[in-house]
Amino acid sequence: MNNPFEPSGVTPTLHEADPAAPVAGDPFARVPEVWQREPLTFSGRGTEYFGIWITNLVLTLLTLGIYSAWAKVRRLQYFHRHTTLASAGFDYHGDPRAILKGRVIGLLLLLAYNLSFQFSTVAGLIVVAGLAAVMPMLLMRALRFRAHNSSWRGLRFGFDGDAAGAYSVFLKWPLFTLMTLGLLGPMWHQRMKQYQFKHARYGSAGFSIDVPVGLFYRIYGVAIGCVAAGAVTIFAGLAALAESMPSAFVLLPLLLLALMLFVQPYLSARVQNLLWNHTRLGEHRFESCVSARRLYAITMTNLLGVVLTLGLFLPFAAIRLARYRLECVTLLSAGSVDDFVAGQQREVAATGEEAADLFDVDIAL
Amino acid sequence: MSTSPSEPVVASDVTGLYFDGRSARAHAVTLRLAGKLLQIDGDGISRNDALGDVRLSEPMGVAPRLITFADGAHLEVRDHASLARLLAATGQRDAAHVRWAFDPRRVLLLLGVLLMSLWLTGRYGLPWAARMAAPHVPEAAVSALSVQTLAWLDQELMTPSGLPPQRRDVLARALRDHAVADGRRIEHTLLFRTGGRLGANAFALPDGTLIVTDELIALAEGDDEVLAVLAHELGHVQLRHGVRLLLQGSATALFMAWYFGDVGSLLASAPTLLMQAGYSRGMEGEADDFAVRMLLERGQSPALLAGMLEKLRAAHGRAGAEEGAGSWLSSHPDSAERMDRLRKGDFIVH
Repeated sequence: MNNPFEPSGVTPTLHEADPAAPVAGDPFARVPEVWQREPLTFSGRGTEYFGIWITNLVLTLLTLGIYSAWAKVRRLQYFHRHTTLASAGFDYHGDPRAILKGRVIGLLLLLAYNLSFQFSTVAGLIVVAGLAAVMPMLLMRALRFRAHNSSWRGLRFGFDGDAAGAYSVFLKWPLFTLMTLGLLGPMWHQRMKQYQFKHARYGSAGFSIDVPVGLFYRIYGVAIGCVAAGAVTIFAGLAALAESMPSAFVLLPLLLLALMLFVQPYLSARVQNLLWNHTRLGEHRFESCVSARRLYAITMTNLLGVVLTLGLFLPFAAIRLARYRLECVTLLSAGSVDDFVAGQQREVAATGEEAADLFDVDIAL
Repeated sequence: MSTSPSEPVVASDVTGLYFDGRSARAHAVTLRLAGKLLQIDGDGISRNDALGDVRLSEPMGVAPRLITFADGAHLEVRDHASLARLLAATGQRDAAHVRWAFDPRRVLLLLGVLLMSLWLTGRYGLPWAARMAAPHVPEAAVSALSVQTLAWLDQELMTPSGLPPQRRDVLARALRDHAVADGRRIEHTLLFRTGGRLGANAFALPDGTLIVTDELIALAEGDDEVLAVLAHELGHVQLRHGVRLLLQGSATALFMAWYFGDVGSLLASAPTLLMQAGYSRGMEGEADDFAVRMLLERGQSPALLAGMLEKLRAAHGRAGAEEGAGSWLSSHPDSAERMDRLRKGDFIVH
């Protein structure tokens, strides 16, 4: 079978169904004999992106932050357009004016949050309660804005998550997690990702996901084990050191941060693989094979580069990380990707995404 | 008036992938220019659009350029060389900020502009803005912050003072007589504490709370020297240095958080601390000037403050490096320079 949408006539390689791919216990009726492998490729380059990054930075500073909305659109366009799947690129369509509006609202919320506690605890608690009531809706709209403004092959992505689901995963589950001292954390993570993926669509085709919560607990178990072992070692080491040097405990936050940096690449690699290996788009599925060790090496060298260059390495770091994480994902297509058709189109406000950005909540898929 | 090239550029055909915006199907098509029209042909597609009705995405290296039509369809072009010839024939020119991003010399220039403007902002812009904004920070916020800070200091570092009440009264009354600027009283509260790890020390909170440690009072030869130090601290209150520091610190932290983004808050806070140490240098000078003016008005010598500085430096030097945290001198750099200045009378009297 020749790839019908390949203009240059290159014959794509065909593979037998990958035995490693999660086909066991498949709830879907039709299992194709062969999966056509379409890897994501990324062609962004650090030197090129540096130019965009520094132009964005200077214009943002000169306009006292107003240009940052346009800067964000250019940055996302750069990353989207350099990502290619099945010989076609992705694109980003966010409207900078909508993003600017969102940023202003986000900034006001952030100010209200930071200032209210300076006045009185009651005022602070009122603002926190207000934020807790508003944040789930903002996050839901953020997901919608991001999805709606991304496209591939001329069709938009979309997100149809509802308010009830948003309040469940962005308010109820965090509270449960707090009340159980984090025991339900992995379950919260699973619910959140399921909410994100289940309601996402491409054109009119829906994504679906089915990840057993046990797999999340396994990943977090390893990570927490590493953190606990590391923390015990750090405390023991510092306690021994403190006998001769009383100020040794000053190092504690630094060492704990290093420990977190050590575990974070493992978590993000394993979670990315877990999610994409259990996700389908219509009949198509995905494969992600990020290696925690490689991601760890990339993260550490990036950090070193950024520190040594006072941040000038940041654009190169972003490109390196994006390339590795994207190129680890492959689309296993069950048939022609030509068959997707457009879904409903509607305008979506940016407020949610920007407010969420400022509050530093990671909602990236 | 432009001097157009004598020979028109010959535009060749451009290949690309056409998507109609309704399905994901790719159509391999050819794009050519016919006068003011763009013609698209191939794979069942045939359309003509006026140049003015289409949108062209900016160049981004090897990424495809997208030609978007009014009806939502678009053409994805990776044939960059042919497209460049076609664009040259139409006289199209990219926006300035787009050209800059891909020209190494312009990028270097931008880098220079960036570093220069950052330095200027940090050195002059931010302190100026903080000075302008400081009087407008609500008193409620200032006092809430000060109360919190005092509570933290009392809990973590300081213990109640052992100074006899009569001595406290004398000092408080003397300071109250001192605390006048431009004919108006400076609102303040004087508190006495045992410094503990802070040692001989005096400092001001933004709401006018002055704290002096028993150790400092013991170090001073007489009340005049204590009052000289307190006059300096009163200068910090009067000039709203605490609020200004806070504003500058917050602005710097906000910028760092945005600039470094995901690298981590630790990295973001380190430069903030460095910059604060730098800023307080100028403020110390201002507070010294304030104290000198006050001392002169009372017919006393600025050398009182210089003498106290010297004693404090000696005291903290004896205490050794392990006492490092929170010492008066660590937040009061260049004390030698300041003493010189006070003794030579090299200060501004307004």
